[in-house]
Amino acid sequence: MSYVTIDQVTKKYENQVVLNDISITLNKGEFATLLGQSGCGKSTLLRSIAGLEDVDAGRILIDGKDITNLSPRQREVGMVFQSYALFPNMNVFDNIAYGLKMKKVKNIKSKVAKMIEMVDLAGKEESYPHQLSGGQQQRVALARALVIEPKVLLLDEPLSALDAKIRKSLQKELKRIQKELNITTIFVTHDQEEAMTMSDRIFVMNKGNVVQSGSPTEIYTTPVNTFVANFIGNYNVFKMDTFRKLVRSTELKGDEVAFRPEVLKLLPIGEESQDLQENWRLKGIIKDVSMTGNILRYEVESEDFSFHVDDLHHRGAIFDQGTHIQIILPKKECLFL
Amino acid sequence: MRKIKKQKIYLLALLLPFILFVIGFEIGPLAAMIKNSFYADDGIQVTINQYLTIFKSDFYMKAIQNSLVISLISAVISVITAVIAAYSITKFSQKIQNRLLMITNMTSNFEGIPLSFSYIILLGNNGLFTLLFAKMGLDVFADFNLYSWTGLILVYIYFQIPLAVMLIYPSYQGIKKQWKEASSLLGGSKFSFWHRIGIPVLLPSIVGTFSILFANAMGAYATAYALVGSNYNLLSLQIASLVASDVALKPQLGSAMGVLLAVTMIGALWFNEQMMRRIRRDLR
Repeated sequence: MSYVTIDQVTKKYENQVVLNDISITLNKGEFATLLGQSGCGKSTLLRSIAGLEDVDAGRILIDGKDITNLSPRQREVGMVFQSYALFPNMNVFDNIAYGLKMKKVKNIKSKVAKMIEMVDLAGKEESYPHQLSGGQQQRVALARALVIEPKVLLLDEPLSALDAKIRKSLQKELKRIQKELNITTIFVTHDQEEAMTMSDRIFVMNKGNVVQSGSPTEIYTTPVNTFVANFIGNYNVFKMDTFRKLVRSTELKGDEVAFRPEVLKLLPIGEESQDLQENWRLKGIIKDVSMTGNILRYEVESEDFSFHVDDLHHRGAIFDQGTHIQIILPKKECLFL
Repeated sequence: MRKIKKQKIYLLALLLPFILFVIGFEIGPLAAMIKNSFYADDGIQVTINQYLTIFKSDFYMKAIQNSLVISLISAVISVITAVIAAYSITKFSQKIQNRLLMITNMTSNFEGIPLSFSYIILLGNNGLFTLLFAKMGLDVFADFNLYSWTGLILVYIYFQIPLAVMLIYPSYQGIKKQWKEASSLLGGSKFSFWHRIGIPVLLPSIVGTFSILFANAMGAYATAYALVGSNYNLLSLQIASLVASDVALKPQLGSAMGVLLAVTMIGALWFNEQMMRRIRRDLR
């Protein structure tokens, strides 16, 4: 049975639909991500679950209990904000203890101490937020949300304000803690890579709708439409009639074709081509090369069409700008949408 | 390097008029006042008698006490009112907020003699409202005397509140919405938010405002003078009569009282600072 149920939730701001009849179910212990560009409704949905926004229609259930009309403090959810939102006048201990004090729980000291250990902040109990780094502040915020043992943990772009290295390490830690506590978690992000590494399930949102949901692999390899293809995998997307001209085939069906930049292979002119039954072979020219660490990103032009090709960075095997090359496109990697 | 140095010299040159102004009109008179306070009435003999005179005189001690009490009461009432009023202002739309602030700004500059006369015209013995209510048979103002302690406090509060609102209002912008949201998600009520987070965060500005109001009331002269003349025994009125009256000019004694006025203000500042540090340990 599902643990969190979002049932036909709709929300409007002055006639503009922000959440359009959204239905989602999550299992206990699941790490779910709402992924989308800013303004797609993902944060609004999260805030509706927290009770910080009212919904115009629909129901929200947690553990079988209808919480749609409860106030935030009655919902038993924990939330971490992008801006940390730590109380500046309280030290780390008091920040974490706040929720326990509000709920008049016993053994506050030992519970807080346990949390501080879990988020690896031992020794910082007396520090104030302004004395901590961004990463440390976010750990405190996480501990503060978790210490009250919420049924669901809500994370609103919690890592977006951190620099890349700390973000990576906090991603891992967040995932570890989530597994350790087996807490149902809803994570909001606009970063597809972050969504891929963290989630059990991803809900891709666009304009107030969930356009696709599934495991990271499903979302990545089989996007249901060009929006997801563009957003998730940096896919090359072509209109079908232009693509037919490019590969000189008239049998292809569908409106659009999409393929990921890393399925393409570049070969020097004259080199033995691979099986033409399974691949299309195109001639092209390198328009631009850029390097993102281990990946080489080519912009290739073929008969007035340009697309991206990603290749692993092998030493010395870089095609220079202006080089004429062959492009090998495996037929089975093409998605016809 | 040389360029930077040159720039610094220009900047200092620009500051020069300001520095001269401060020395000439602020530090100079202050030093003169302190110096004067240690001279006898003849202005030649160095003595601490002026201070002894004040401390021994019930009359002058009463003036200090009256000033302290009226300043404390008016500052406390004004700060509390302003904390609530400024918060309610933040709840309006930006347009209305701007208008309210404009009115506040205007009224905060409405003090001194014009203010006193407005009060006299409206609430004095023959004031508009006093007579109107009397004619209507309502005796709301029957026991009210503008030229009294209550009247004086009322007028002080009137000019203190807008100033306090102006000073406290900006600090509400520093209260983040997410703090409230986090507090409510953690099970906190509105009261616990304000009690444990909101007010402590506002505290530095509340305390600062309180100090300014206190000093403002301690030094207020024209309002009180216009309203109660020399009928009421206040420190500022006594100083004025000692340095500028037609009867008994005693500038040295006046200076000594001026120094005491300054000391009480510094004392108030120091006390506030201590209180704040005790509550806001993160600011140390």
